[in-house]
Amino acid sequence: MNLKDFIKGKLLTIGLILFSLATIEIFLMSYSFGSFIKIYIPLSIIFFGTIGILVEYFIKRNYYINIKNTLEELDEKYLITEIIKKPSFIEGKILKQTLEEIDKSMTENVNKYKYLQEDYKEYIELWIHEIKMPIATSKMIIENNKNTVTKSINEELDKVENYIEQALFYARSNTVEKDYYIKKSNLKEIVNESIKKNKNVLIGEKVLVNIHNLDLDVNTDSKWIVFILNQIIQNSIKYGKTESEINLEIYGKQGKENVILYIKDNGLGIKKGEITRVFEKGFTGTNGRLSNKKSTGIGLYLCKKLCDKLGIAIELNSIYNKGTEVRIVFPQNSLLFEL
Amino acid sequence: MQKILIVEDDEKLRNELEIFLNNNGYEAQTLKDFKNTINKIIEINPDLLLLDINLPEADGEYICKELRKKSEMPIIIVTSRDNEIDELLCINYGADHYITKPFNIQILLAKIGSLLRRTNTIGETNQKIETKDFILNTSKSTIEKDDKIVELTKNEYKILYFLIQNREKIVSRYDIMECLWDSESFIDDNTLTVNITRLRNKLGELGLKDLIETRRGQGYILV
Repeated sequence: MNLKDFIKGKLLTIGLILFSLATIEIFLMSYSFGSFIKIYIPLSIIFFGTIGILVEYFIKRNYYINIKNTLEELDEKYLITEIIKKPSFIEGKILKQTLEEIDKSMTENVNKYKYLQEDYKEYIELWIHEIKMPIATSKMIIENNKNTVTKSINEELDKVENYIEQALFYARSNTVEKDYYIKKSNLKEIVNESIKKNKNVLIGEKVLVNIHNLDLDVNTDSKWIVFILNQIIQNSIKYGKTESEINLEIYGKQGKENVILYIKDNGLGIKKGEITRVFEKGFTGTNGRLSNKKSTGIGLYLCKKLCDKLGIAIELNSIYNKGTEVRIVFPQNSLLFEL
Repeated sequence: MQKILIVEDDEKLRNELEIFLNNNGYEAQTLKDFKNTINKIIEINPDLLLLDINLPEADGEYICKELRKKSEMPIIIVTSRDNEIDELLCINYGADHYITKPFNIQILLAKIGSLLRRTNTIGETNQKIETKDFILNTSKSTIEKDDKIVELTKNEYKILYFLIQNREKIVSRYDIMECLWDSESFIDDNTLTVNITRLRNKLGELGLKDLIETRRGQGYILV
């Protein structure tokens, strides 16, 4: 808002004042008033009129500039109505009121979808809770009737279980609400847990598992990390070289202000140009197009999303045809540690 | 025989668990209706309780909390609720372990075993497993025969223990590896071969060289 634009808006008022001034001046001319009056009256009207217009201009200018600046600083722009002051002039009052009403109706609309999503997530959690029952029962039946057929069914059940886990964490990753519970957890326990979870396929594929230096504590939700590790380990198996044994090395390192968990394999690796894209949703890349891989492009995407939510970093390095290294970086906030 | 009570409302799972535990040397009992569960549990007074959380009459967390006021029996919660908060809550209510469905049955078995050893004095004295030709000392991890004592490494001990449990049955290499992996020794195929050879040599020191036979394409058998 500049003065020129403001005066443009006031042209009608200014025009009318000048017109009335001209008629007064004609009236004064036709009678014999003193020259002081003839000059004083029009001058004072012009003087005080100008002051009035300028005062109004500055009040409004300050107000709107204030709104503009606040808006620029705000991350969530819709909060503007909570911050701006109540203006003294009528257009400002109308503006503020209008904004408030728009905001209110928008919030209601957004909330509707938030609840819908929350509701859906709750249903998914319930469903997953239910579906785990028949899986558990099936696994028990298999255990009591062990043979090559049931063993094979067991392997398929493991896959089903993994897909179900993925759905659960996908639902969790999309909610605003905090679904996790941070507590001190031991890296070794977390890694052991996920290796045991994948033992059937790891033993079946004759993977050489080498874990060391894991006696480190991190503050996190261990169940989430187990899930993330599962995805990474399954990738290592899926994208292993067929001609050689798969090596899987998992170890930890205490950094200055963090603990880093390394997961290294000697698999197919990822082409240089594709590394930056592996965390994108639906990205499958060159390896994903290989005939038997059944890549979905969900695993690593989900890992990244969950890590973001937990406040930890996940990084990936790879040399094509040599192998892949995934690093999970747990920040160690000294303040958090003392708690 | 140690008595394990299964409190689980899913009939099929309950029955399969009962069969499994009976097959593995425990006396399993089940509750079929869930009125007055707490009193029934106390009446049966098992050595260990497997408790589901979602039960028709009262929920497991409540049962666990109330039981703890009256009894110190070991409790393992078996549930499909898989999150840290539920787990923490159950542990706070006095549960000893928290296992989520679908569970790894070998791990459940291992947890039952260790919990019973820790809480039961009968377990304490039973540190030696006597077989027809040698004695396995479970606390020292040694094998003994006629004053001769041979020490076993952790993995050799676990393999032998597993073979004894399945005596005169063929166990595949896969089964042995699975057993070792469940107890967090993530060994590979070659290491298993090495361990079996060493175990044979150690048995040989006691004059029992041919106790472990290889069945080509199938696995091993402790005769």
